[in-house]
Amino acid sequence: MFKGMPKIFWAGTALMYGWIFFFMILEMTIPGFPLKKFMGIPACYTYNWIVGLWLMNIIISFLYFKFEEKREERIEARKKRKTQDAPTGANIVHEN
Amino acid sequence: MGVNPIVILGSVLYFAVIFYIGWYSRKASMDSSDFYVAGRKVGPVVNGSALAATYFSPASFLGLPAFIFILGYPFWWALVGIIGGMPIATLLTAAPLRKYAPTSFTDYYADRYDTKWLRLVAGIPTLIGGLAYVILSIVGTALFLLAILQIPFNVSVVLASVVVFAYIYFGGMVATTISTAFQGVAMTVASVLAAGYVIFNFGGLNGLTDAVLANSGNFFNLPYVSETASHPLMATWTGVVGFFFVWHFGFSAMPYTVVRFFTTQDIKAARRSVFWAVTIGGAMYGGLVIIGTGARVLIETLHPLMQTEGITNAMGVLKHMKTAYGVAGASVTDYSMIAAVEGLRSPFLLSVLAAGGLAIAMATASGWTMVLNVLLGRDLLGKVFGSSWPERQPVHATRVMTILIVFVCMLFAFKPPALVLDISGAAFIVILCSVGPPLILGIWWTRATTTAAIANILVMTTLSCGSWMYAKYKLGSYHWFFLSDPAHKISTPHQFYWVFVGFIFFIVVSLMTKPCKDDVIQKYSLDIRPEQ
Repeated sequence: MFKGMPKIFWAGTALMYGWIFFFMILEMTIPGFPLKKFMGIPACYTYNWIVGLWLMNIIISFLYFKFEEKREERIEARKKRKTQDAPTGANIVHEN
Repeated sequence: MGVNPIVILGSVLYFAVIFYIGWYSRKASMDSSDFYVAGRKVGPVVNGSALAATYFSPASFLGLPAFIFILGYPFWWALVGIIGGMPIATLLTAAPLRKYAPTSFTDYYADRYDTKWLRLVAGIPTLIGGLAYVILSIVGTALFLLAILQIPFNVSVVLASVVVFAYIYFGGMVATTISTAFQGVAMTVASVLAAGYVIFNFGGLNGLTDAVLANSGNFFNLPYVSETASHPLMATWTGVVGFFFVWHFGFSAMPYTVVRFFTTQDIKAARRSVFWAVTIGGAMYGGLVIIGTGARVLIETLHPLMQTEGITNAMGVLKHMKTAYGVAGASVTDYSMIAAVEGLRSPFLLSVLAAGGLAIAMATASGWTMVLNVLLGRDLLGKVFGSSWPERQPVHATRVMTILIVFVCMLFAFKPPALVLDISGAAFIVILCSVGPPLILGIWWTRATTTAAIANILVMTTLSCGSWMYAKYKLGSYHWFFLSDPAHKISTPHQFYWVFVGFIFFIVVSLMTKPCKDDVIQKYSLDIRPEQ
């Protein structure tokens, strides 16, 4: 199942769920956690509103398409090298 | 409160732009490829903005702030769940489905599971969810028209239906993609601008927070660490986590977003579209969080109707809208977002908000209407029951279906069955638990079988609809676990667990039944995955 799914997918989902459930757990175990000040404002505006809702997801979706494009470029480059080498037999292993 | 000429001007300008785009691109929609999938001509920024505008509906624009208004801070996590579910679509379904490049949502099910009857089976929950969404979109459009024109709700429902119908009748997918991209920008500008006004009104985020706490001391309460929950539905972790998951997987598997992956130029554009949808949609959601958080205190301290005798709180203002304009019962709380902005008493802001609200409602209504009229016309009438009409006259066939769909949904919009976000949540769970597993596991698992797909769709549609209605009528709300002891109800928003049960059920039945032919699996599973 999921054979061929790029590794970056798992890294991104781990980051997303890790961040979200980490802060959910903190909120449900530390009284008043969302309202504790961080950089002068209630912390929930930072970890939930700005980072959890927007910035983190922009970063993950950027990484997803960027890593995939780079991976596809590497595959194309490898294919081109094989095509160029093939007529000379340069990629054939000679036993002697 | 009277009609404001600035508000009307903003809306007229919005309609002028939209109908110009629709009319201009009409000549581009002469063949079925252009009509169905915008000729696969749109780039990632345009498609991403259109994706965001289509995916987000009045359920987002009105419903999410309304739910923050009702449930408090813990509901912020639901918005995080919605945006957080968008990036995963990039690699899970967007790229593979663009590689496969079908025309309609049910094409994949028919091809991957090798039977035309899957179009009919997959069509059942799609039709249920789609009609629900067109209804809530017409309701949303009607509420904004009411705010703009100060007309009775029934009249605005008819007007909203005419507007939505005209919009999609004349352009098909080309008009809806390009003008929908404009709508994506309009809705985001409206939301962010309104949030800016709210924050400025209170002198910053600290001022907003202090005002909210002074008005509703329990607003920021979480389960287990506070004496009183922000709302009974948020008294346990299942409520908080449940609302997070209700809409979370929607971007990957809901028909009206999946079809937008088909319209991109290529796979690269499909992936990049998601990035732009997250950027634009996330900004809009950031605005909705602030509006919803400040809604109650804004209405109670600033709304002009608070001066009316007999009105002492925000719910009193909203009930007044019900009696004064005939707004259907369930939709009254959906007006809270508009009422909050009315409290800021800026005609310019209300004008921009109304344009944004109309944009988001029309974009979703047209997106879903296109999914349904392709399902009913091309897929069911044409490919399942063998009628040649959709093939010979695709534009004519989809237009006839559009008339039917909009008319039927208009009838329901006069008295909506629930809050717009609740209609949306129900539609999401029914679709995600039934057709979600066959789609996602059809791509990523060679062992997915036809029998499992059919069984999952039929069983999960029945269980999700049945449990939702049972909970509503026996326990008073579809957000309580349907088997709960009435004295100790457990919060499970929209019976969200069916999504996870659906995946497990699908896997178990697949393992017990015969897989599809090797060539089918090769073409519709292995070949559409990323190249290794």
